[in-house]
Amino acid sequence: MTIHLKLTQVFFACFLLFSSNSPANTDPINKAYSVQTIQTPPGLISETGGLAFLPDGRLVACFIRGEIMIYTPKTNQWKLFATGLHEPLGIQVISNSEFLVMQRPELTRIKDTDGDGLADVYEKVTDDFGISGNYHEFNYGPVKDSKGNQFIALNTASQGGSVKPEIRGALNNLGRDMTPGIYEMYSVVPFRGWVMKLVPGTRKLQPYASGFRSPNGLGFDLEGNLFVTDNQSDWVETSTLYHVREGKFYGHPASLVWNKDWKGGKPVLSPLDELDKMRTKAAVLFPQGIMANSPSQPLCDVTEGKFGPFAGQLFVGEMNRARIIRVMLEKVDGELQGACIPFIDGHGLRRGNNRLAFAPDGSLWVGQIAFGWGGDQGIQRIVFNGDLPNDIHTMKLTKNGFDLTFTQAIEKATALNPENYKFRHYYYKYQRKPKNQGADTSVQQDIQEVSVTGIKISADRKKVSLKMAALKAGYVYELKLGNITNTKAEPLTNKLICYTLNKLVP
Amino acid sequence: MMHNLKVAICIFSYFLCFQYVKAQNSVTTIKISAISGMQFDLVRFSVKPNEQIKIVLNNMDDMSHNFLITKPGKRLDIVNAALKLEERGPRLNYIPASPDVLWSVSVIPANQSTSLSFTSPSVPGAYPYVCTIPGHGFIMYGVMYVSTDGILPNIVTDLNIPPSRRVEKLLSINSNSSMDHEKITLQAQHPYESVSPYLYRIFMEDAGPAAIAVSLPNDLSYCWDAGTCRFRYAWSGGFVDNTQIWKGHANVNAKIVGAIFYRDNTLYPILVGKPEQVPLIEFRGYSLVNSYPEFHYTVNDIDVFELIIPRDDGKGLIRKFRIPEAKDDVWFTCNTESASVEYEVSAGTWVNGKLKLSADEAKSFSVNMLNYSLVYNNRKKK
Repeated sequence: MTIHLKLTQVFFACFLLFSSNSPANTDPINKAYSVQTIQTPPGLISETGGLAFLPDGRLVACFIRGEIMIYTPKTNQWKLFATGLHEPLGIQVISNSEFLVMQRPELTRIKDTDGDGLADVYEKVTDDFGISGNYHEFNYGPVKDSKGNQFIALNTASQGGSVKPEIRGALNNLGRDMTPGIYEMYSVVPFRGWVMKLVPGTRKLQPYASGFRSPNGLGFDLEGNLFVTDNQSDWVETSTLYHVREGKFYGHPASLVWNKDWKGGKPVLSPLDELDKMRTKAAVLFPQGIMANSPSQPLCDVTEGKFGPFAGQLFVGEMNRARIIRVMLEKVDGELQGACIPFIDGHGLRRGNNRLAFAPDGSLWVGQIAFGWGGDQGIQRIVFNGDLPNDIHTMKLTKNGFDLTFTQAIEKATALNPENYKFRHYYYKYQRKPKNQGADTSVQQDIQEVSVTGIKISADRKKVSLKMAALKAGYVYELKLGNITNTKAEPLTNKLICYTLNKLVP
Repeated sequence: MMHNLKVAICIFSYFLCFQYVKAQNSVTTIKISAISGMQFDLVRFSVKPNEQIKIVLNNMDDMSHNFLITKPGKRLDIVNAALKLEERGPRLNYIPASPDVLWSVSVIPANQSTSLSFTSPSVPGAYPYVCTIPGHGFIMYGVMYVSTDGILPNIVTDLNIPPSRRVEKLLSINSNSSMDHEKITLQAQHPYESVSPYLYRIFMEDAGPAAIAVSLPNDLSYCWDAGTCRFRYAWSGGFVDNTQIWKGHANVNAKIVGAIFYRDNTLYPILVGKPEQVPLIEFRGYSLVNSYPEFHYTVNDIDVFELIIPRDDGKGLIRKFRIPEAKDDVWFTCNTESASVEYEVSAGTWVNGKLKLSADEAKSFSVNMLNYSLVYNNRKKK
């Protein structure tokens, strides 16, 4: 309880600071969305590993110390459902009394069979993956596709920790290289650094995609595309959102030792150009220190408008700051790519945003965690108040620039002023971490301002077409917007947006 | 009072021994390390006004860190200002230009060290120090107290240090005191009271990584390994202390509270059919039977259920097995060579140290283990 109080104090202090830094502005985001804090029961260390809603409208949450609890929003009552789980980091609802939980040793089906509201059966669904005992081997998911297949993601191990004398699964030391001074995650037990697929009715996992470092978040969009985030550090120069497809490799080499066609040797020592050729690039890059340092779960807006105008887009939690990011994607030359923009920034939101779930009423619930990193704990709820936010709805690549579509009609003079569009481009190197470089160091390469050479506004004043001096594939286009307002002279909620340009419009 | 005095002495001697070295030429050297879990090993110290200070900074973490000392009460301002640097952050070493930053050290890469020399402020007060790399500053900080008397405030209520550090130093220095043990148990671990039997799936010593720790009535506990599907060891006198493991971001096991009185060194306690064959084992889960976990696993695809309860007199454990679909002979193995345990079985015949059960007997049988160390060794009991 005292810890709770103190955290609240700290949080209030932050909030006041943020507010005092922008005193004169009306707060447009607060008109559209508000952040509410859900009280958690006394004695609960509410480091949240999973959130989901039951068919009956209640919320189920799992917490790092092993509890599963069920919350009735109507009465604000919490009830214990299960205990003793090993760092559960994901929960999926099967029914009002049955859940799938991803915990450290296994994916488990947990049921209340006698109707007393407490779990009594803990059935292993699959434990068909290795555990070295390294603290960083977290497991994420499960998420289910339309055919009932489950997908989970397995974190690599950290050089900040060793392995236990007894492990589960076969040991393969080619999955690590202990060159002094090089900070690098490793994979010495099966399928660390992989996304795995589980076909219904089986207990055996199928390797699905490799090359992940710390994939703390999986989710599907409306079309059934699977997305997985990854966290910046070794081999992942800035955090990513990957469009994950079967058989592909996403860049962190350690996992390759478990590829059945791996030719041998330490993957991290493979020639860089070979690895680079093999890899599939991120659909979206989250520039480190600018957009996100530790993105978590991507969640598609399935509310069909109940949560505002962003239906079909993805929301992604961020651990290191009080932020939830919004992602908009488009298919360019056959591949998904797109832009990221802050969605909620401050405004009472805590840090440590780890898990997201939409309630039946269309509100977005957020579970927070720290677990030794920079985060927080607790559960909050973001409510759409019905007023249209004043924001960028989509950013799309065109033949010679970008189209920005806004949620509201914008004021013409501000929209046509080139001073209001500050573009920079930069890229991130795919590389092994240089010696003695800190784990969270990230370097932008070839930073250059790019000028806007033409601006057109649509008749309904909702779309601005920007012509760029030049466009280059392989770069992030970071746009900072100036004082563009809507017709009521209200400023935009978010003025920073980053487009990952992997492919040019053919 | 006694307690506070003891704490003060401990803290004082702690600084004296490890952190606080006053040199002949009257420069006070203070050693601070950045350690894993985004924290400084030293979260507070005291200096006199106008004193020559040298802070030796050692980055023992795998991340880079910087180090800033701010004016009193300005830590959060500076942390937020550093966040707002955004892409300029790296170039500026995440150090915002502000008169509230008194001294700063640029980013120190992993495993490197540097130092900072300055004259301490003439005005007494609490001067925060912090790493302002995004995400770090909210938890990675400490405080330099400038005062003439050098007295530090009570650590438990010291709001100038991270919440997680407001008790632990005191506990680790003075962990033998019964008063501190009470402190541990007073801290709420869960939103409910844990009543035995209950369990944690958690990393344990001398077990595979899919370990299960079970607390039983009569002050007994055991570790069951869900990787190899076998009972590993049992202890009495307490359960587990998960304090370190629940901090996260570190390679630690749950700490066993009490003394281990039995270890089972049998690789395959249940064999079906031919006992010389290495069986195929698979963990399938557990059910709670009157809150006791009944483990379910398969041996060559035959279902085995194992439930462990304490003896009524608390002098050992009873392992209850069910193999409802057994069709062949079943063999049960345990440490029969151990002189400190007396085994009593409900069915079967001992053959060369192995218990042989017919398929019918194997449908339900129990192994009662009377442990002499619990009978005779009363010193370890409360």
